[in-house]
Amino acid sequence: METKINIEARECGAENDPPTIPKRRQELLKWNGWGYSDSKFIVNKDKHVEFTGERYQLSGHTMPQLRDWMMNTIGINLDHRTPAQPSFTAADTPTPIKNESFIMDMRRTGISLSDDCQDRLFRAHGHTLHEIFVLREGRFDRIPDLVIWPTCHNDVVKIVELACRHNVVIIPFGGGTSVSSALECPANETRMIVSLDTSQMNKILWVDDKNMTAHCEAGIIGQDLERWLAKKGFCTGHEPDSMEFSSLGGWVATRASGMKKNIYGNIEDLIVHIKFVTPLGVMEKNCQVPRISSGPDIHHFMMGSEGILGVVTEVTMKIRPLPECKKYGSIVFPDFESGVKCLREIAKQRCAPASIRLMDNEQFQFGHALKPESGTIFSSFVDGLKKFYITKIKGFDPHTLAVATLLFEGKKQEVAAMEKRVYEIASKFGGLAAGAENGERGYMLTFVIAYLRDLGFDYYIVAESFETSVPWDRCLELCKNVKDRLHRECKERGIQFPPYITCRVTQTYDAGACVYFYFGFNYRGISNPVQVYEDIENCAREEILANGGSISHHHGVGKIRKRYLRQTVGDVGLGTLRAIKEYLDPHNIFGANNCMVGDPEDDRKVHNVPKKAFPQSKL
Amino acid sequence: MKSLIFRGRLFLTGLHTYRFTAAVLTRCERTNRSHGEQHDCCPQTSLTGGTLEFDPRALIYFSRSSRLLHTSATTPKMSEQSRNSWIKKDDPKLVSAKQKDFFVDMLDDRRHASDFHYSTRVRDVTTYKYNKPRSPKDIKDHVMQSDRVKYAVEKVMEESGLPLEEVMKQTQAILDEMAHNLRIGVIRCFAFFLVKVMKKLFQRIYINEEGVQKVRSLLKEYPILLMPSHRSYLDFLLMSYVFYEFDLPLPVIAAAMDFMGMRFFGWLLRNSGAFYIRRSFGDDMLYWAVFTEYIQTQICNGDSPVEFFVEGTRSRTSKSYAPKFGMLSAALEPYFKAQVPDIMIVPVSISYDKILEEKLYAYELLGVPKPKESASGLFKARNILKEDFGNVHIYLGEPVSIRQYSVTGNLDRSVHSLAPRYIVSLSDQEQHLIRHLSYDMVIQQQKHMVISPFAMIAAVLLQNREGIHLRNLVREVEWLKRQSSNLGAYIDWPVSETPETVLRASVSHHGNIVQITADDMVELIVEDPTITSNQDKLMTSGAQQLMLCLYKNQLMHIFVDVAMIAISINSCAQDTLHIEELKKHYKFLERLLNIDFIFLPGNTDKDFEQAMLVLTHTCGVVVENSHVQIRKSTNKYTTFFSQMFDPFLLGYWIMCRCLKSMQTGAHGKPLAKPPKVITKEAQNLSATLLRMGAFKHMEVLSLDMMNNGLQSLYHMGAVQKDKREGNTYMYPNEVVLSQIMDELSKFVDVPNIPATSINVETKTVVINAKL
Repeated sequence: METKINIEARECGAENDPPTIPKRRQELLKWNGWGYSDSKFIVNKDKHVEFTGERYQLSGHTMPQLRDWMMNTIGINLDHRTPAQPSFTAADTPTPIKNESFIMDMRRTGISLSDDCQDRLFRAHGHTLHEIFVLREGRFDRIPDLVIWPTCHNDVVKIVELACRHNVVIIPFGGGTSVSSALECPANETRMIVSLDTSQMNKILWVDDKNMTAHCEAGIIGQDLERWLAKKGFCTGHEPDSMEFSSLGGWVATRASGMKKNIYGNIEDLIVHIKFVTPLGVMEKNCQVPRISSGPDIHHFMMGSEGILGVVTEVTMKIRPLPECKKYGSIVFPDFESGVKCLREIAKQRCAPASIRLMDNEQFQFGHALKPESGTIFSSFVDGLKKFYITKIKGFDPHTLAVATLLFEGKKQEVAAMEKRVYEIASKFGGLAAGAENGERGYMLTFVIAYLRDLGFDYYIVAESFETSVPWDRCLELCKNVKDRLHRECKERGIQFPPYITCRVTQTYDAGACVYFYFGFNYRGISNPVQVYEDIENCAREEILANGGSISHHHGVGKIRKRYLRQTVGDVGLGTLRAIKEYLDPHNIFGANNCMVGDPEDDRKVHNVPKKAFPQSKL
Repeated sequence: MKSLIFRGRLFLTGLHTYRFTAAVLTRCERTNRSHGEQHDCCPQTSLTGGTLEFDPRALIYFSRSSRLLHTSATTPKMSEQSRNSWIKKDDPKLVSAKQKDFFVDMLDDRRHASDFHYSTRVRDVTTYKYNKPRSPKDIKDHVMQSDRVKYAVEKVMEESGLPLEEVMKQTQAILDEMAHNLRIGVIRCFAFFLVKVMKKLFQRIYINEEGVQKVRSLLKEYPILLMPSHRSYLDFLLMSYVFYEFDLPLPVIAAAMDFMGMRFFGWLLRNSGAFYIRRSFGDDMLYWAVFTEYIQTQICNGDSPVEFFVEGTRSRTSKSYAPKFGMLSAALEPYFKAQVPDIMIVPVSISYDKILEEKLYAYELLGVPKPKESASGLFKARNILKEDFGNVHIYLGEPVSIRQYSVTGNLDRSVHSLAPRYIVSLSDQEQHLIRHLSYDMVIQQQKHMVISPFAMIAAVLLQNREGIHLRNLVREVEWLKRQSSNLGAYIDWPVSETPETVLRASVSHHGNIVQITADDMVELIVEDPTITSNQDKLMTSGAQQLMLCLYKNQLMHIFVDVAMIAISINSCAQDTLHIEELKKHYKFLERLLNIDFIFLPGNTDKDFEQAMLVLTHTCGVVVENSHVQIRKSTNKYTTFFSQMFDPFLLGYWIMCRCLKSMQTGAHGKPLAKPPKVITKEAQNLSATLLRMGAFKHMEVLSLDMMNNGLQSLYHMGAVQKDKREGNTYMYPNEVVLSQIMDELSKFVDVPNIPATSINVETKTVVINAKL
């Protein structure tokens, strides 16, 4: 044994609150769906949809319009259910491949580990439709063989060293909220696969209010980070929709984007320093400076590396004082097009609030259906009045109007000024301020949508979201064309019910926007819904690329989008990526095989697309 | 209360309720509101069975059909029917003329109803789902303010140094010259008169209604391109008429500038949706930008279906012309640049029993200068309204989705992501696809052309130029009809008549070209009696024959593939011919005939196989061990088919011959001449040879054929091109030319020109001088 590896147990890091998410995640979280076990949509005894639990604003409420909405838009029938399989037992999980000498060395380090089948299963997947469907209906061919919980950077260094020595595969695991199948174990992997769960590395190591930075371990999840920083009067402002569960390391590894990036920036703007453990050793910069010109930025090898080059252990990121004032708002537009034009103008004038999102009509109606039962007669009367004003007096067509939801943050007078400016611009595009409540409900929709999908699964619905970024001049047509393509592909594949297709513009930039789609359909009468769904989503992605859109804005490539990577970065780009991999990890220890790196099959699959001849005339 | 027989085709809308007995649907009507659309059900009725509710949206509405049926149908009383009360006319031979296979006559109802009411009725028009209503003026404003035009204006300013106002003025002038001014008011007036004219000109105008339905259902979803065949001026009038009739949005039509010159007519067309495109505008950047934007904005917004002729101009020969790609490229670009989800292209075949411009065409082909189109020229020239032009068949073909068409071609549209869309141009792959599609569309048009009996008469007559007895003609035409039908042609043949009646009617219909003598001989009228001037006799009888060829040409595309094989078989001197050898000949002929006939690019092998199958299965061609048995295979089929194409091969040979005799300039290189001059010279050579009696095919007098031959030779490398002062000059490549001539003379009997003039170049000069 080489002496330079110190495999003794050692005290790690600073004291902090215990992690919010326990090692046995399944005790708190659903094992086959999204989020907390206690929170879910159910159809109650009155045949109305109700959200259980006490965690959320919606918890304990029924949504009287939701059932009818689901029945009307997507053809749900409460009599036709597809409940999930009851549980996953040891018998359903593949037997682990054991590298005994690695396990022996690991035990000597004293780092916590487990080969419990449920622990392993929980780390075998993210939250793509495919993965959740397997949990509900099937079984995985390959799951991690061992779960290891390092508690500090040095633990990770040790684990990686041992894995290299014993030729064991490492797949880093943060919050498990990936939607790109990045966590999926390569089915043909014959070596032992270790899931390196960073959830116990969740400490804020220091906060520096001179430079306004915080140094945190990479396993910290979004809600803890914000909650603990808030105690000291700070925030990072990074709020991806998954922030309740996703981790800092995961954000870095997928190049995440937060809802409030207009003020705080995306992950690449927030990062000051990253500590990154690779098979060759630790990669990091020697200083924590706001900007540096040191050749190609090595941070950009780490950001978006999707677990194939190494694992993020510690991050220094910018922090901001907590905003004094936080205010929701909304604008109604006569149609989606004028909404897009307005967002473009707001982006041009660089006066976007913390968040601005434009929902299309379908999504607006969806949001509307999520309204809880109204408490008083008065409030429903007010609702009626509002509706009357917008549709009758202002002449908006309820079947074309679109709604922008807004979130303002900052000092009170700043917020007031910003509100004034935004609403002024909006009015030039026919927009009408429509109150805070609509705005807040819009944001709630994005938090509950994942819970709602689980309800859909019970009633023959398969659904998923996907996103892209696109230049402004092609934004509107991209939305139209992708929707058209989805409708058409559904029709051609014999889907019996009208699919639910909706989009929103979720982020604005100087040069373009981020567009987010929800797509789902009722698969009654179709034998292979997931396959059909994936085929259609692939068509949609092709359409997106044809429309000048990108492979992904913030979900990442993973495995489900890797077929588009060569087209996106070109042969040279991909070669560069592979050369970096080859240098850092020649034995493919970080063998998750994302991003078309690592798996020699990738090339074959992509290249063997048969080039069909032109269609023949029927003469 | 009125009742009606529920036949195969009934178009209704508005919520009608029907009460039915065993076979007779009776419709109750209490109110008939202003436009005859809404009917309420009448409660009092004795004949009640169940009640049928029709979903009005599922059916198409003709205000006239209900009106017509109400007035014409009478209620049969059950007791008076001796048997089978559901039969209205007890005559098995009865053939509906209004309803013929998948065609229905549009004029029938017009003949029974008021034209005024027709032209003023309410039209409930479907529009594209993303359409924002715009006036023609809005469209023009959009074009002027578009990025593409602005960009071009800037470029032109940079290059020419002209001030902005000047360039903008030029741009506006181009746009004003181009733009249509589609106005429903004008359309209605136009419809009123047009219908009257149509009723005068034609017996029936048939349309396949299923095609209309398809267009209607697609209109809402995607922008539509209409691609009619182009045989006559009337094509676009007919198209607009169809769209008016069926309550579809009226198309805007890309028309050639020729029409603009006509004073009233030009205005009328512009106001009924025609926009004018220059025939060629080379690298005029401003024109390109205005043209492209003007087309594309109308496609993207789905303002109207855009109609244009892929053949580029009216076919003077009734054969399809090789497609032009410019217009289609411009029209499809929005799809490739992802500005629209899809574009639907509808090929339309318009077939005429008798072509309005037949005589004009014949003289044009001969090179007698075409009179400039003028309103008087079009309508007065031949007392046209008194003549009977028989039937027209309009077939709206299966719409082609450019998305589906290109998906199988594996096209990557993301190549356009790297620059603004008004700057980048189409990729090579896309252009290749468009070429392919263009050919495909022409082939689709051909496929649904309706073959008239006269086309077959003409084909037979041209192989029996001295005349043929009616009895024999009947036999030959029946034979040819069977062959055409076997090859997939749709033949317009009234089943209720005897073949002889059909032929007699058909011949008398074309009494200006053919006649039946007292002893039942059918023959070509060599001399046009209406021509009194002392014109060249060869040319006037040539015109007569070319008119006949015009009709024969309707058949040619059906037979071209099998004929190219038949030609090799018939001209083969050996006993057997290897399949591969045959294929080589086929390929050669295809390249040669590539301008005169339409072949799908890259499909030669399949076409060959298909044609071989036809010949071996139904035409007695015998293949043993991959060798065609020549003696057994030379039969009526192969002879007839190959003779159909003799004039073309002969014509090309004459063109070669003429090229060979071109004067040598300095350094032994032949002197280049403009293509027009060369074709004219070739025609002169044809004329001389005809006068010498070397052959009888007067079709070789056609300048069109000569020009096509020249273009083919150019594509085969036998002729080369020079650009001199912007004009094209051509000169032969002796080596290739000789090879082609040798090949050609294997396939067709070429005249024996005196040796002196063949070999010696100086002698040929003498001949040319003599011509």
